[in-house]
This record gives sequence, structure tokens and C-alpha cells, in this order.
Amino acid sequence: MPTSTFDIFRFQPDQGPDSYRQAFTLEHGTDLTLLDAILRLQDEQDGTLAVRYSCRSAICGSCACKADGKTVLACMSQVEDLKAQNGGQPVRVDPIGNFRPLKDLIVDMDPFWDKFKSVKPYLIPDGPAPEKERIVSKEAMQKIYNESKCILCAACYSECNSLAADPEFVGPAALAWGFRFAGDERDGQRHNRAKLYSGEHGVWDCTRCMYCNERCPKGVDPRDAIEKLGGIAFSEGVSWADAGARHAKAFLISMRTGGKLNETLLVPFTNPIKSQLDLPFALRMLSKGKAPSPIPHKVKNLGEVKKLMKNVKETI
Amino acid sequence: MARQFAYYPGCVAEFSSKELNKTTKALAPMLDIELLPMPAATCCGAGDIAEAKPNLYLTLNVRILSQAEEMGVDIMTICNVCTLNLRRANKLVKDDPRLLESVNAELVKAGARPYEGTREVTHLLWYLATEEGLSLLEKQGPKGLNGLRVAPYYGCQLLRPSSVMGFEDPDQPQSLERLIVALGGEVADYEAKSRCCGFPILLAREAVALKESHVALSQARDAGADCMVTPCPLCHLAMDAYQRKAEAANGTEYNMPVLHLPQLIGLALGIDSKTLDWKRHMVPVDKVLEVVGS
Repeated sequence: MPTSTFDIFRFQPDQGPDSYRQAFTLEHGTDLTLLDAILRLQDEQDGTLAVRYSCRSAICGSCACKADGKTVLACMSQVEDLKAQNGGQPVRVDPIGNFRPLKDLIVDMDPFWDKFKSVKPYLIPDGPAPEKERIVSKEAMQKIYNESKCILCAACYSECNSLAADPEFVGPAALAWGFRFAGDERDGQRHNRAKLYSGEHGVWDCTRCMYCNERCPKGVDPRDAIEKLGGIAFSEGVSWADAGARHAKAFLISMRTGGKLNETLLVPFTNPIKSQLDLPFALRMLSKGKAPSPIPHKVKNLGEVKKLMKNVKETI
Repeated sequence: MARQFAYYPGCVAEFSSKELNKTTKALAPMLDIELLPMPAATCCGAGDIAEAKPNLYLTLNVRILSQAEEMGVDIMTICNVCTLNLRRANKLVKDDPRLLESVNAELVKAGARPYEGTREVTHLLWYLATEEGLSLLEKQGPKGLNGLRVAPYYGCQLLRPSSVMGFEDPDQPQSLERLIVALGGEVADYEAKSRCCGFPILLAREAVALKESHVALSQARDAGADCMVTPCPLCHLAMDAYQRKAEAANGTEYNMPVLHLPQLIGLALGIDSKTLDWKRHMVPVDKVLEVVGS
């Protein structure tokens, strides 16, 4: 029978203000999920070990935690696999990141639910409900299929680098739900949603670290959803208000005028006022040759690029 | 015979970070690599065009892949962001023949060559961090880094999403470490080596981005690194050009020279300082040159 050691983050606020780590050892059969291991430790060794869980079947989204620093659903992770990955070391178990621990592996999820609610994660149709159901084609549902798979486990928030730097960032799961409804043909709020999600701490705050796509246990690819919301902001004409959107617009202008990025246009176009105030920095960059010529470099066969820019239609 | 690649340096290496392009071109013949120019290749869109017009992003990147196909070679990049954008487009159309057909219809309508889906996209780091690549370095008899303590900095988009990138474990990357050791350096290890530098939002959300770069810069400093090395010119801009700003924003000092990967290799192989173009760095590299004895 395999024996495994677990190095678990402990925090018992009624016992003391500091967190600590505790090692547990367990004999078990070859098939044991990390959640089952934690529940056995709770049952057999320390009844105070706190963990949030419900379905044990990777659908309720309650048991996300970190195993050896990597965010997982405890119920989806086999202990023997974790040991194979870490070279047989004790399995290090921590609560998900970017949230305040309440007790052991349980974190305060209130900020997550507040952000989730802020994107209006429900259908808001135009006009009164029809007498019969609204029929949606398979093709139309396919567009929002990935985002519909989200189980709100918050694994994508745990290692989100934007959230670590800006606690107010709305975050990957909430924005994925935003796209799930903005992209739903039955919804009547596409334009308003584009505006709602394009503000400060929204779509344009994603730093594209790709941790959300990497960690999501259900294949939602939240970063791709955020990207599609950017596309909706452009198709709905709300692409001037935010510096992040203007940043993207500068790439389109560069593409049209030369095919390569015009870095000298990018800075003032993204942030016209700030770039003026930042003159000393600009001069330092200039002195190091890091301010290229404003005259756009033109790629060969630019005509092809211009035609593509004119012809290619967006289908979000 | 030299291995040929369609060379896609990306916009930043061609313009604001010319030292990267210059060093790569000097290094290639030493490593038996022939870099063929792609005069009709556009910007990959850097994730920004994908975020504004996804179908346009895909079509523009497939146009670039098709140019390499016409040249009969695979693409080599020196930028994380270019690598991700090109590989992602490649995977999307290779996985979905109907999508490739519709993209090709647009390309043909615009007078461009359609793509058959036969090319691969690799990064210089990936090419060199294999046994074959390391033997190319060995052949040069590197004069070495003299125990220089180098903090490897991967950034994000050469590792994640692993379904698109796939060269190594995104949580335990080792390619930069292998090169550092092979070149006679020591690895200064730290947890944040694959966290974000903040560059994609640096111009639009500077305060947030400078908090992001702080994590890696401060950890590399605390690990006792003489310098950092990165395979990405955008990470380089965030870590080098904006380092003084990050110091001011976070109330600390890093004094951390940041080297482009080809510069580190060039230094170990004895390429002269004029070619490596240190004067274009915002953070002086004096202590690096002192340790290496260059």
C-alpha cells in the first residue's frame, strides 16, 4: 500500500493569528484523489482540518486548492499523479491564491461572487418573453459553448497576475460569463455589456499571463473569452474610451499604414496626456535609441494586407 | 550545412530593441543557422489585433505562415508574443480544415498565397535548448560566463497556454537553465521566473504593470543574481527600459541588468561588445561584463 505525506497550510483564527504548516502521513490504495485524502485526514487524524467541498465529481467547483503550487480541483487530482510530478516529495497543499484565507483551505469567496454579479450573468432579452421558448441554433450555441462550461471554481483567479497586482480586476471567470451572455443571440444587451466590461478593471486590464487558460479544469479558456469581449467592444463601437482599446486600435492603424507596429504612434495614441507628462522618460528612451522613426516601415505586398483589412469580416 | 529558417524577428526587435536583432544575426552563422528574411511578413498583432478583430488576426498570421511555406522552411522567432500568436494561428487552422479553407478564401481574394498547413514555428531558445542545439554551442568552444549568476526569466507567452506552446512543462521550465549552465553560468533560481512582466498593459495601466514586474525583479535581486536573461523583447522592455520606473513605483532598488537571450549566448561565445550593443540598455551591464571578464 502506498504511503503519502502531505504538507498542508493551516490557519485556525480561533487558535491564533498566524498560519503554519502541518505534515500528515496516510496509507492508501493506488486510487485516491487529493480531496479524498484530505477528507480521510479530517476523519481519521484531525477533525479541525477545514476544506470546502460538495460533489466530489468536478462539477460543483468548491474544492479548488493549490497542489505543489499549481491550482487544481482536489477531486480531480490523483495523489499518485501529484507524487509522480513532484518526484515523490510530500504533496504541498495550499488554499487558492489571490483570496483571503478564512480557515485552513477555505478562503473568503465574497469578492469573487461580487465580481461575478457585477457582470450581470443572466439573459436580459429585449422586449417581453415569447409565448413559446426561444429556439437557438446549434451554431449560435457553439459560439458560447466553452464559456457555458464554467463551474465558478475560481481556479482562474488563483494565479491571475492582473488580479495579484490589482485586487479590483473583475477577473477571468466573471468576464467569461460576461461573454457567455454578450455572445448569446437571445440577449438584448450586447452594446451595454460591451460598455460595462470595457471600463477600468475590466477587459483591458487583462495582462495576458495565460494562467487562466492553463489552470481552468473545464477548458473554458477565459483569456479567449476576454479577447472576444474586446472584439465585441470594437464591433459595438466602444473602442475609444479606454486606453487599452486605443492600444489595440494603434496596432490596426500600424497594420493599415505599413504592416509593422509603429511604436512611436503606439505610446501617444494609447495615452495622449500621460505621454506628454512623461517627457523625461521619453527623452531617456530616445537617448538609448529606443524611440524609432515615426515614418512607418512598409512591408512588401502591403496591398494584400490592406485588402484583408477591408474584406475580412468579424463573426463574434 | 546550415539549418535554414524563415526569420521572424518581430517588430520590437526590428525597431526599439534593435540590439536583439543585431545580436541574433551575428550569432546565427556561428550556430550553423541561416536566417532567411521575410520581407512581406507583417506584425503578428501582438495579441492586440486578436483582441480587436479576431478573424483578421487569424488571417494575417496565416498569411505569414504561408510565406514560410512558400520558402520551404519553418519559422524561427526571438519573441514570446510572436511565437504564441503564430503558433496559435497555426494550431487553429491545422486542427480545423474548414477554418483553413475559409481563411484561404480570404487570402486568395486579397492576392495572397493560400496555406497548406505544413509549417512549424519555433523560438531560438527551443532550438538551442535541445541536445542538438547544445552541441552547436559546444562546437564553438564557449569562453564561458565565468560563473555569472543569471536569473532565468521566461515570462508568460513562451510557456502558456501549454496546449499551444508545448515545448516544456510550463510550471517547471528548464530550457534557459540548461543554456545558462552549458555556457558556464550559475542559475539564480526564483519562483517568479514564469510570471508576467506586465508589458501588455504597460502603456494602458502603468501602475498595475509596474507592480507585476516588481515581483520578478525583486525576487531575482534577492536570489543574488548578477543579471536576468529573457527570451522576449517585450519582457526586456518591461524589465530594463521601465526598471527605474518600477523602482520609483515600488520604493525599492533592483539595479538588475537584463540581457536578451542572444546577448547572453554572444557574451559567452566571445562576440564583441559593439555588436552586442550594450549601450542601448537603460540599466548598465557593467557588473555583468566585470564578472565575465569581457
